[in-house]
Amino acid sequence: MPLTNTAPPAGNAAATDAVIRARGVTKIFGGSPALQGLDLEVHPGECVGLLGPNGAGKSTFIGCLYGVVLRSGGDLEVFGFDPAADSRSIKRRLGVVPQENALDEELTVVENMQLYARFGGLGRDEALPRITELLEHMSLDHKRDATIRTLSGGMKRRLAFVRALLSDPALLILDEPTTGLDPAVRHLLWEKVLSFRKAGKTVLVTTHYMHEAELLCDRIVILNRGTAVGAGTPKGLIDKEAPGYVGIFPAGSEGNLRAAMDPDWQLFHQGHQCCVRAPRIEDLIVLQQNAGLPALQLRPSNLEDVYLKLTGMELDADE
Amino acid sequence: MNELLTSLRLAWHVVARNWIVYRKDFLANISPTLADPALMMTALGFGLSPFIGQIQGLSYAQYLAPGMIATTALFTAFFECSYGFYVRMTFESVFKAMLTTPIGVREVVIGEFLWVFIRAGLMGGGVGLVLLVMGLLPNPWAVFVFPFIAGLLAVPCGAIGLLAAAKVRNINQFQTVYSFIIAPIYFLSGIFFPLADRPILGVIVQISPFYHGVKLLQMCAWGRWTVGEVLTQIVILLAFSLVLGLWASRKIQAKLTT
Repeated sequence: MPLTNTAPPAGNAAATDAVIRARGVTKIFGGSPALQGLDLEVHPGECVGLLGPNGAGKSTFIGCLYGVVLRSGGDLEVFGFDPAADSRSIKRRLGVVPQENALDEELTVVENMQLYARFGGLGRDEALPRITELLEHMSLDHKRDATIRTLSGGMKRRLAFVRALLSDPALLILDEPTTGLDPAVRHLLWEKVLSFRKAGKTVLVTTHYMHEAELLCDRIVILNRGTAVGAGTPKGLIDKEAPGYVGIFPAGSEGNLRAAMDPDWQLFHQGHQCCVRAPRIEDLIVLQQNAGLPALQLRPSNLEDVYLKLTGMELDADE
Repeated sequence: MNELLTSLRLAWHVVARNWIVYRKDFLANISPTLADPALMMTALGFGLSPFIGQIQGLSYAQYLAPGMIATTALFTAFFECSYGFYVRMTFESVFKAMLTTPIGVREVVIGEFLWVFIRAGLMGGGVGLVLLVMGLLPNPWAVFVFPFIAGLLAVPCGAIGLLAAAKVRNINQFQTVYSFIIAPIYFLSGIFFPLADRPILGVIVQISPFYHGVKLLQMCAWGRWTVGEVLTQIVILLAFSLVLGLWASRKIQAKLTT
């Protein structure tokens, strides 16, 4: 695939082997903190996911990485460069898929990509083969002369990926890359991100989809109100924060469950439903019988449980 | 030096982007720029000339003619940098994608100024040629300097548009900017009537870059110029361009980065 790293050498590469190094990064918007002392390191070849509710600071942090958001405090280096001082050196090594596709609707697919190839410093001769290669890679070559306004939402998103990959970036930043897409397009994009990773590239992705984060990411950082409230591998986070199995019971079953369950187990709410977390699935099977309540679902704990717990969206039954 | 050249090269890409999008709807984009001055000349110039008689030794149509080039420069620059920029920034999110590339806000702003300089220069030059063909230029050689003057006048007018784009909270508020800033400087800058007999207005309009552009165009079109006067107006226009341009640049910087 055309995903070889030809990025120029980094600025302060000797001082850091991290692609991204953030230490105590803060950002204050009009008196309200959006980032409160965020620490994060992303190493070459890693895929790191940023999870968190809306307003947690994910997009703010991403903006800080290439200088469109100016941090209020802390230290930040990307490829050894400070984005506040030299964002251009960073942006030469970077591909970004922003939340909005932001394509010129009146231009054709190729015209759009030629413009961005030029912005990224690709010469006319090298741009067209690169565009053709990436359009084929994203199964969009048959749409090369179509205007953007005639494309479906999924096609526009794939084209935003093509645009991000044009200058062969060493770091790909994906800001909610698959929001609003149908499952087929989502799977295609996941496959492309994984193939990008296989080429040894680094990926930073924000998402609201836990399955996406588990599938793509080596490490996950969960943000809430501008701070990292949890970090680790998907499995490590589950084992640490929400080990065991979860039984989901109908609303209103809290009294019966509490009477029948081991006091060391955890009872909490997800929406209107009552949930019990126990060490083994057998414990939950017995609980169903003792409480006289069939569970709606019995399953292993997953990343969503961790997310809901760490962001405070999982409401403890005692609160 | 290298940084400056890189910056100019990237700003030129912004110009190229605007041109590529502009030419997609060329007829619709070019129509008001040429049709409005033509209509103005027909209705006011030829319509009123027989009733008004001579002004400063010129027919009213000849008096009005250089103002049409200024009008083209003003409206091309203001609308491109106000509505046009606002739409690119807010509805099309063009800059959100552009700023992920090596292009920075400085290049975006320089690119916008270059774009209105070129576009207004070409449009102003085109209007000048039409005026020449209509026999409305006492100094026909002026057609060679019209593109430069129109381009120069477009920069401060574009800066006013960018300042408006940075300030408004929604697209409707441009109407207020038009009504209270653009329309007064357009109607009261000596295009339609001489300001020599109006001392108070003659002083007030000095703070408008448009007035100085109109004066420069009139001097050239009528062949009533001295080197000193021409240089003075050019320096004043350059000063307006610098001050308003830097001010607009700072405001757009604050708008596109947070």
